[in-house]
Amino acid sequence: MSTLEELQEAIINGNAPAAKQLTERGLSEGIKPGEFFPGAIIPAMDEVGRRMRECEFFIPEVLIAARAARGSTDLLRPLLVGDAAQKPMGTVVCGTIKGDLHDIGKNIVAMMLESAGFRIVDLGADVAPESIVEAVRREQANFVALSALLTTTMVNMKSAIEALVAAGLREKVKVLVGGAPVTQAWAQSIGADGYGKDAVAAVELARRLVAQ
Amino acid sequence: VGNKTHRITLRPTGVELRAPAGTPLRDPLFEQGVEFPCGGQGRCRGCRIQVLEGEVPSGATERDRLTPGELAAGWRLACQCTVESDLVIELRQWDAAILADETPFTFEPRPGLGVVVDVGTTTLVAQLLHLQSGCVLAVRTALNSQGRHGADVMSRIAFALSPGGLQELQQLIRRQIGALISQLLLAARADGREVRDVVLVGNTVMHHLFSGIDVEPLSHFPFNPIRDGLEIFTAEELSWELPGDVAARFLPCLGSFVGSDILAGILATRMAESADLIGLIDLGTNGEIVLGNREKILCASTAAGPAFEGARIAMGMRASTGAISQVTVAPPFSAGLKPGATKDRVEDARLQCHVLGNVEAKGICGSGLVDAVAAGLDLEIISPSGRFADGRSEWQLLSPVTLTQADIRELQLAKAAIASGLQLLRERWGGADPVRLYLAGAFGNYVNRASAQRIGLINYPPAQVQPAGNTALLGAKLGLFRRDGEDGSYRDLRRRVEHVGLSADPHFQDAFVQELGFSNRSHAYQEDIAL
Repeated sequence: MSTLEELQEAIINGNAPAAKQLTERGLSEGIKPGEFFPGAIIPAMDEVGRRMRECEFFIPEVLIAARAARGSTDLLRPLLVGDAAQKPMGTVVCGTIKGDLHDIGKNIVAMMLESAGFRIVDLGADVAPESIVEAVRREQANFVALSALLTTTMVNMKSAIEALVAAGLREKVKVLVGGAPVTQAWAQSIGADGYGKDAVAAVELARRLVAQ
Repeated sequence: VGNKTHRITLRPTGVELRAPAGTPLRDPLFEQGVEFPCGGQGRCRGCRIQVLEGEVPSGATERDRLTPGELAAGWRLACQCTVESDLVIELRQWDAAILADETPFTFEPRPGLGVVVDVGTTTLVAQLLHLQSGCVLAVRTALNSQGRHGADVMSRIAFALSPGGLQELQQLIRRQIGALISQLLLAARADGREVRDVVLVGNTVMHHLFSGIDVEPLSHFPFNPIRDGLEIFTAEELSWELPGDVAARFLPCLGSFVGSDILAGILATRMAESADLIGLIDLGTNGEIVLGNREKILCASTAAGPAFEGARIAMGMRASTGAISQVTVAPPFSAGLKPGATKDRVEDARLQCHVLGNVEAKGICGSGLVDAVAAGLDLEIISPSGRFADGRSEWQLLSPVTLTQADIRELQLAKAAIASGLQLLRERWGGADPVRLYLAGAFGNYVNRASAQRIGLINYPPAQVQPAGNTALLGAKLGLFRRDGEDGSYRDLRRRVEHVGLSADPHFQDAFVQELGFSNRSHAYQEDIAL
């Protein structure tokens, strides 16, 4: 098995020490930092997403795998700075909406997007519309990804989109929404650009929108 | 037929009635507390029943209200039926097993009558009491009529925030409780003029909706109500058929979503007088957890979701006829079992399933779900991560009822919410373990305690865990027998109770993720999964 294949296995199995060690070994073997993503990290997290969707993996397994992936990306990111060919897929400002503290789902989406090559600016939970506007402007974001877990807080997604419109930033970003009470119809009604029913769908959606 | 009497058996309660041939079925059923929402006019479907045994011909009114499929399956409108044979019937209204309370309690006798009401999000239970003897004279139960505007408290809040929503929900619950009280008096042949006191308990949302208090602060973090104390109304302003000056007291809440049903639970378990540390858990869609003794009491609420009530489970159902309510691993070669008798159902032979009502299995209820997963862990069909060990997607328990991988995941979410909540309160108490842990509510009374421990829902041995019945109703009764000068505001007690907001605690989500698995001994869960 090649080092990249071994790294892919280590990430899927959530073995963080092995993932870190294999990344170091790969670098010493002369593998270019940018090659780790298409060669190991992205396929590994795609596989984790597939297993999550098939109910084979649950929250703990996904979190452990994402942590292993992060062990690898933390080593690689500094090496990619200034490499024009390794520009991130885009910058995503993400957060759980105002009034809501549930952030496990949002964290999983953020980690999957990060592993897929996006730059993540995570604003945490209970995020006010003003903070989103400010972060989009500051970070030159291309995406806003919002999560809500309560029927009573998802209305604040609408306020966030309205704030982006008022700030003249709505045309600059694609807004993705998700969370247990959120539906495709709701996403459309508030003028979001897309709805992801799970983390895998969110990554697919973001990739599709980048390609457009 | 003449004056022959027939026997009527009610499911799921098992109550047996006798009625002369030709009696309208609504008469004996009304006596049992069955509601006829349209007044028995055949205009709604509220009183529908399923005839399991016996003959009940259908009429034109029923053919308008029920589909041919429903009619063929034995569904009828009780208000349109007459008793013409021995019958076994199941009541749609009684899908929920509603717990009343008949626990003896100590009290100081008073003249007159009193009423207590447990205002649940799903079900209401009302009792009429003789204040001199403490005897329960009548009991009435009903599904909360607000249910049509959402099953759980958050959707009820969302509806209350829509235009006119709060008024609508307030009117529904006030009118329904008024009707229950009238029914109690009728059933006990009691005089409404004798009623001196009405005590109501319920969670904070029920308290607000009954009282007409704005629920907006409960719709978002930090979920702090503005006004959650004792609310007193006169029967006159509630338009109840009682003397106008009778006071109805909705007892005060304890903080955030934790309401007076839990305050009542503290009264019922005597936690505030105990030297030993005592725990109380109400296992519902919104799970409430209390840990305390005479020094200090901590409480919290945690969103467990509806899995314990059989919702969001592929073949889940309430604890009613046809539900698998118990699953045990059969001892090898035990009498009456033919291992491997049916080749395509090998697993079945290792299980014994109890089906409520002794009919063919239709689904599985919360207690059956907990048992099934515990059995799956023991048989190593389910791995400690919650995944089917051999990668299958479902497990046939008792034909046609299966348990799916997604069902196990739902149960993991529910049990982790409860277990991590208790874990956090325990830490706040300095790591002390409760000497006794009381389980309140219907599910808590039916769940097998060994199975609950096996799946990590309650991480204490069965001997330490005690089902406590409807502690909300018992506590409300204690609230009826207040000492002179006490108004039901429980100022001293409330001062000693501290509400812990779990969602804002950074350890909560870590603890939650840790508790998702079925065994902390497995390799994957030894690691700190917090990121």
